[in-house]
Amino acid sequence: MRELDESRELLYVIRSLEILMTSGIGLEAALHTLAMGGHGIISDDFSSLMKNVQKGRPLENELRRLQKQAKNGGYKRMLNTLLNNVMSDTDIISTLQTQGSREEEIRTEKVKKYIEDLAGLPESLLTFGMLGPIILALVGLFPQLMGDMSAMLGMNMDPVLINMAVGGGLFVTFIGMALVGMKAHFKDPGL
Amino acid sequence: MFGLWILDLYGLAWANWLLLIGLAGIGGAVPPIIERIRRRKIENALPSLLETLSDSIGAGQGFQQAVQGAVTTRDDLIAKLFAQALDESHASSFDSALSRFAVLTRSAQIQRVIHLLNTAIEQDADLKDILFRLSLDYERLNDLMNKRESEMLGRSILILMFICVGLPLLIAFIVGLFAPWSGGFQVTAINNMFALFFCATSMLSAAVGGRMLGRMKDVLWTLPFWGFLAIYLYIVPYYLIGG
Repeated sequence: MRELDESRELLYVIRSLEILMTSGIGLEAALHTLAMGGHGIISDDFSSLMKNVQKGRPLENELRRLQKQAKNGGYKRMLNTLLNNVMSDTDIISTLQTQGSREEEIRTEKVKKYIEDLAGLPESLLTFGMLGPIILALVGLFPQLMGDMSAMLGMNMDPVLINMAVGGGLFVTFIGMALVGMKAHFKDPGL
Repeated sequence: MFGLWILDLYGLAWANWLLLIGLAGIGGAVPPIIERIRRRKIENALPSLLETLSDSIGAGQGFQQAVQGAVTTRDDLIAKLFAQALDESHASSFDSALSRFAVLTRSAQIQRVIHLLNTAIEQDADLKDILFRLSLDYERLNDLMNKRESEMLGRSILILMFICVGLPLLIAFIVGLFAPWSGGFQVTAINNMFALFFCATSMLSAAVGGRMLGRMKDVLWTLPFWGFLAIYLYIVPYYLIGG
């Protein structure tokens, strides 16, 4: 979940930092502005960073702590850029611009991939949803459909047992459908 | 009403309660849909507004003058909200008008832009360049959001049609044809299990469809209705075909 939240907010944060710093605001003030909210989990991270900095901890250490905590690769790279700027006064604006363009490309690709990946989802759900009930309906109705033949074939099963088998089978089918449907959540591009 | 009676006959009276909850849920689902349509309309108009402002500033106007110019020349919702915000904050500062506008739009996207613009104005930054870059960024973002919406909407509807409508009807047809109640088949227990299964799967598929569109919370309201519809489309056709 954390990675999804980070990837959802990252591009906005990079663009905001870029604009704030182009406007002449220093790194710490820019982080403070973003820490005030509006950028989800990244605002929370920056807020904890600013609190610790105000307590006297060095900004470098706090950025390193956030880097360890971060799950998204792009977020880690952005924190590294900030860290490099603090330590060796690099050209942060051009680096942020490059990172922003890169993140934008990644986002576009993610959306395209999401659309492609979910192309077959309706059919997959229908296949699961249809095969299970058809087979299980046959299983459940088998003794009645066969009548006395089932006893002759030695297949006379307890109705309670059959109902349990049908119920269990339907539950497994439902779980299968839920697992197929999970793709829609876990591959979300975070728009 | 006949269908509801059949559900009662099959011991599925709880499904009738699901219908009541579902109808109330549909009532609850309407405001978020209207709100979303309004918000997307505003967000889609944002890039062109930012570009207009950038052009006006490039032509030598101040930000406030550029905003007032854009408000008078445009006739869309975003311009109306901006005009309303400017009217309401005559006695206070232009910054508060911007903040009021952000609040009126109820859009996180616009609130972010206004927050950035406020900071840029405070810092005396190059607004022309910032506005132009923001307009490009948000145009690309809105294009992606619109693309996702248009591509996924069809699939989401397909899932609903397949799972909530097609599947119960198909199984009702098969079971009704091979094990009709009029032929003395004892299928009440199996029918009840299938009804529960279709209820659960249709709720699941509606939720999946909503997630695909990125509006799961709005769809949650309609889940009881889809659950009821699937039960109804299984039991009632079974009763009719099996009779």
